[in-house]
Amino acid sequence: MTESTHTVKSYEQELEHLGSLMARMGGLVERQTAQAVKAVVEGDEEAALEAPELDPEVDELEREAEALAIRILALRSPMAVDLRTIVAALKITGDLERIGDYASSIARRAMKLETEGNISLVGLRNMGHLVQNNLRRAIDALTTKDRDGAVAVWQSDTAVDELYTAMFRELMTYMMEDPRNIGTCIHLLFVAKNLERIGDHTTNIAERVYYAVTGEMLPAVRPRGGRSYPAS
Amino acid sequence: MTTQTDNGQAVTEKPAISVKSLDFYYGEHKALRNISMDFARRKVTGMIGPSGCGKSTLLRVLNRMYDLYPGQRATGEVVFDGRNIIGQGIDLNRLRARVGMVFQKPTPFPMSIYDNIAFGVKLHEKLSRSEMDGRVEDVLRRVALWAEVKDRLKASATALSGGQQQRLCIARTIATRPEVVLLDEPTSALDPVSTARIEELLDELKKEFTIAIVTHNMQQAARCADQVAFFYLGELVEMDSTDRMFTAPRETRTQDYITGRFG
Repeated sequence: MTESTHTVKSYEQELEHLGSLMARMGGLVERQTAQAVKAVVEGDEEAALEAPELDPEVDELEREAEALAIRILALRSPMAVDLRTIVAALKITGDLERIGDYASSIARRAMKLETEGNISLVGLRNMGHLVQNNLRRAIDALTTKDRDGAVAVWQSDTAVDELYTAMFRELMTYMMEDPRNIGTCIHLLFVAKNLERIGDHTTNIAERVYYAVTGEMLPAVRPRGGRSYPAS
Repeated sequence: MTTQTDNGQAVTEKPAISVKSLDFYYGEHKALRNISMDFARRKVTGMIGPSGCGKSTLLRVLNRMYDLYPGQRATGEVVFDGRNIIGQGIDLNRLRARVGMVFQKPTPFPMSIYDNIAFGVKLHEKLSRSEMDGRVEDVLRRVALWAEVKDRLKASATALSGGQQQRLCIARTIATRPEVVLLDEPTSALDPVSTARIEELLDELKKEFTIAIVTHNMQQAARCADQVAFFYLGELVEMDSTDRMFTAPRETRTQDYITGRFG
């Protein structure tokens, strides 16, 4: 459904502002996730330090977006696409904030990691890149109100889950082979779990974008490798 | 155009009023174009749209109020109780007792509170004094006015507040035991508390009556109506459940109107 502009300009500006707060949050959280993955996979200390430093700004943006959303709900009585956008924004900013937290947690854990080179980080790197890629596409779908983009992200979380399951098995194997690996592997397992959680929140964002744009909910159960999703 | 379709399933009750291919003219001006819609029995149907979109015109067709004015005519069908009420041979007094109407400004007659109600009833029914007393009390209770006026039923209705007057007008309308109650902007002249009372009243009345309400207040339609019809330039653009209309309307024109995007 195409959108024309509101008769009341200040209303239009408030909705635009809400959108820009989400876009800024999205940008920061993307950065946090990228730095977290870099910190783990490349042992980059600067990256490890930067991710948590962005947390307060993300939190502040979330509070600002929430206050604005509540104000619009109270004062404008939004309807239809506006109502959906605002309700979606409340949820999406929550998801973004959680993603930021997971990224920070990964980055902090990276600083404690002592990888002696006998444990492969290839799986984690692939998972990290996939999660980052999905997150970027979800935020693109959010800022461009792209229904199809949202569906694509929603579908590709299956791959993240599969990678996580593979990582879990791999790390179990390392631990069984040599108990001295347990410390490192536990850290890496948490990193993988956090990446998987980021993937889930990314999917939530895609679902909210789809709802805001179309007025329909995506099915509760995601297709496993299938291509069936609500047609236009 | 989207309308609710029902495939005559056993669970769905027959609509109270069924409008089919209705056109309406003010002289040469065509004010309604090919309207087809159902007014679900014992539901509130909200009619929204910008000024001049035809929603009040449609309301006036439903009890043939337009007959009072020369040069106005309707074509098509409005089926009520198995008959086309815009056709020939309709007893208009009887029709208007069965399809009652409440207007924007409260219109109490310049007589006592009691007589405001008894007046219409006397035209259609022969009731004894005590039966009439009972009828008056019953309808005043139902519009939640009884407690406020029971000690001054002989006082002039014009001394009541605006909100009380409007509730009296609703009492007067339901006193003739109609099947359908039409309300044209019934709260636009009332304060928020009186408005809330009327809206609460609609919730009660719909248990017994089919209600059609024209309102400029989108929130009111959202609060009161079970289904909502959006009119634009004499056309029915979209009609759906209230929930659907205000969260995810199908038509761009509906969305533009209810979100305030009409330039």
